Amino acid sequence: MYIKKDKPRIHPAIPDLAKDLKNGNIDRREFLRTSTLLGLSAGAAYTMANNLTGIVNTVVPAANAQTPKKGGTFRVSMEVQEMTDPSTFDWVQKSNVARHINEFLTITGTDNVTRPYLAEKWEASDDLTEWTLSLRKGIKWHNGDEFTAEDVAFNFNRWLDPATGSSNIGLFSAMVEDVDTGEKNDDGTPKMTKRAIDGAVEIVDDHTVKIRNKQAVLAIPENLYNYPTMIVHRGFQGDIGKENNGTGPYQLADFAIGEKAILKRTDKPYWGGEVYLDEIHYYDHGSASSAQMAALASGQVDSIYEFDIGSLQMAQNMPGYSIYEAKTAQTAVCRMQVTQKPFDNKMLRQAMMHAIDTSIYPKFVFQGRGVSAEHHHVAQIHPEYFQLPPVKQDFEKAKKLLADAGYPNGLEVTIDVGNTNGPWQQHTCELMKEQLANIGVTLNLNVIPSSKYWEIWDKTPFGITAWTHRPLGTMVLSLGYRSGVPWNESMYASAEFDAALDKAESLVDVDKRRAAMEDVERILQDDAVILQPIWIPKFFAASDKVKGLEAHPTQYHQFHKVWIDA
Amino acid sequence: MLILIARRLGSMVLIMFVVSVILFGIFETDKLAVAGKVLGPYSSIEQRELWLDQNGYNQSFWTRYVIWAGNAMRGDFGQSLQLKVPVSEVLWPRLANTGILALFLFAIMIPLSLFMGVMAGMKEGSFQDRSITVFSVLTTSIPEFASATLLTAIFVFTLGWLPGTSSMTGGFSFKELILPVLVLLLYDFGYITRMTRASMAEVMNSQYIRTAILKGLPYKRVIVRHALRNALIAPFTVIVLQLNWLLSGVIVVEVFFAYKGFGKLLLDAALFGDIFVIEACTLVAVFVAVASQFISDIGYTYLNPRIRFS
Repeated sequence: MYIKKDKPRIHPAIPDLAKDLKNGNIDRREFLRTSTLLGLSAGAAYTMANNLTGIVNTVVPAANAQTPKKGGTFRVSMEVQEMTDPSTFDWVQKSNVARHINEFLTITGTDNVTRPYLAEKWEASDDLTEWTLSLRKGIKWHNGDEFTAEDVAFNFNRWLDPATGSSNIGLFSAMVEDVDTGEKNDDGTPKMTKRAIDGAVEIVDDHTVKIRNKQAVLAIPENLYNYPTMIVHRGFQGDIGKENNGTGPYQLADFAIGEKAILKRTDKPYWGGEVYLDEIHYYDHGSASSAQMAALASGQVDSIYEFDIGSLQMAQNMPGYSIYEAKTAQTAVCRMQVTQKPFDNKMLRQAMMHAIDTSIYPKFVFQGRGVSAEHHHVAQIHPEYFQLPPVKQDFEKAKKLLADAGYPNGLEVTIDVGNTNGPWQQHTCELMKEQLANIGVTLNLNVIPSSKYWEIWDKTPFGITAWTHRPLGTMVLSLGYRSGVPWNESMYASAEFDAALDKAESLVDVDKRRAAMEDVERILQDDAVILQPIWIPKFFAASDKVKGLEAHPTQYHQFHKVWIDA
Repeated sequence: MLILIARRLGSMVLIMFVVSVILFGIFETDKLAVAGKVLGPYSSIEQRELWLDQNGYNQSFWTRYVIWAGNAMRGDFGQSLQLKVPVSEVLWPRLANTGILALFLFAIMIPLSLFMGVMAGMKEGSFQDRSITVFSVLTTSIPEFASATLLTAIFVFTLGWLPGTSSMTGGFSFKELILPVLVLLLYDFGYITRMTRASMAEVMNSQYIRTAILKGLPYKRVIVRHALRNALIAPFTVIVLQLNWLLSGVIVVEVFFAYKGFGKLLLDAALFGDIFVIEACTLVAVFVAVASQFISDIGYTYLNPRIRFS
């Protein structure tokens, strides 16, 4: 329903959002985030918010505070991993190298507001099932081809094909349906697979794509900046590094896994305006923050990807360097595979959950930083977070549950710990071991190398897995807990949960969505699929000569406006 | 002597053969696991079987072993699963990097530890002997990761004199070698020093040295002409065997300083399960072990006439 033919359409939910902001039902940040998701430009959203609240708080990028200088090389210490198909990326580090070559349809900034990128604008149907993406014109691939709707359709079709093996199939679950393969599983049940629904992706014209969902989905623009949704050329053969054909301002000049990735600014005109750095160099000093910190301290690099909490004091004592801290929804979940013994017993899982007091973890694991979690993988900083009654540590209740589960004398369980995003994971499990001992559960820690953990992360009965930040809680729930999606490591399958998540994802009204999240969070918490003690902050450090840097909660590297004050 | 060399070479070949069979047996008997490693954890059984068929894995164990061993002798170890390049493309440069580290280490450590050991052993029980012995024990007893942390804290974070990592990203740099060499030197020189000291002390207590001193030969001449040659036989063997130690002993140092050497390559391959790199590195390590043993045996025989003529 268009207001006037010659004026840009405003989604009918935006006036309601404006009313909510004015009445104080939602905060400014939530208004900005949701209105931009519904297709309002960031500038218009900020202006509207300023007018409604009377607060002038335009976000001025830090880079603009001084006159940027062009040129120079920005050197970053970060693991350089194999980089082939972006749709199957499973590490942010991979996407950070590729991010300068290939781009996304949308971009979510450090302010959590999603803005247009390769897509110039988008419009959602009133019922949020159809999204029309209008692509920017005049963008060229490095090989000279024009960026068109065909490229976007090619990417969507790859993501939605189970043969690609992309986690995006979980993210865009409303665009696919379950179908019977005609084969049988070992237990005789039909073997199911997923395929795109009819008309899921439609090319309207050269620069317009329409995507359709089975049910309403609000988070499409935010999903389009999830790191495996990088847009590749329609002729993509499967190796982004070798093909080196993107729409971004840089191209790969040299690349060696485990050593370096050298990006140089392309001599072709860049559609996105001026970028300042001539080159971006990534050097692999290993994942240990001690080597990365040593490289930074001796001026071998200008910045590092991250450092762990144990290095915080050291970083604070380094003159000439700044620490960047991001509050995030990054975490690690002690997830139990509900299809394997003894974790197929819900009462056992609940008993373990009730033995844990999450309030002590920030103090003992993260020097007072971080926030206690609530065993449902939705963070307090997520806009749709609903505060459930706290899960209290109750040893008597836990013991009774354990006895009812068939373990009156307790039991011994082993958790695989890969310390994949730092030794804090092990510290967390050690603390948990002490708490579980109170109800007779002996927790053994099987500490293994991080690379070994990633071989078994979706197979082990009990393991602690790191999950990165995503701007919406529903995004990670869709990726990790929906029935049958590739990253569902706990093998959790609940029609009730899926339906509750569908409902929450379809609501624009913030209060209604938050209310709908009550069911989502409660079902997951009641089923005790995960033990989740803490949300962690992320840190990195950089030389003071580097300007325009900001800490992105997902640790995405956005260097277009970064410059070196040589 | 020639017979001895031939025997030693024969045993070298036999050891290499046995180790290579064991290695091949461990890593390549479970063919589906190999295909799983190559194609990834999400590959289907059908895909793995197809790959096995296309890559000749359906031949007998010994046929596959002969082909594999033949390729390995030509330097073809297959493709690294992690690094996505032929194994030989990374193996030799990484080995050369560790060789560079070893060269600088030995160039400093051998003269230093021999000199210190001889000085200590010349006058057993003297202040000089005790000081050198205590210092040697002290440095050897500090693990490499501890001395690396300590030296980094001093020279990188506090004084800012030295680079904190040794990746050589800007090309070869002597400065980047200083800390890794220093850590290895601190750890290893005490061992050679104490071996030399023990050997020297034993020689100095022997009858012929006493006789030489009693018959009035100048002390310096007794040391240089009579004691030193015999005292250096045992340290020579130990020094040659350090080559073997170095291949695995440098892992801590290479990881700490992000030095792209053989030890780091082996560790990364082991953690990733990069079987073709592990196979290549193991073969090279075993070759270095038996070759250094061979050099040590021949050298010892050459230096010690009692063994040569018996």
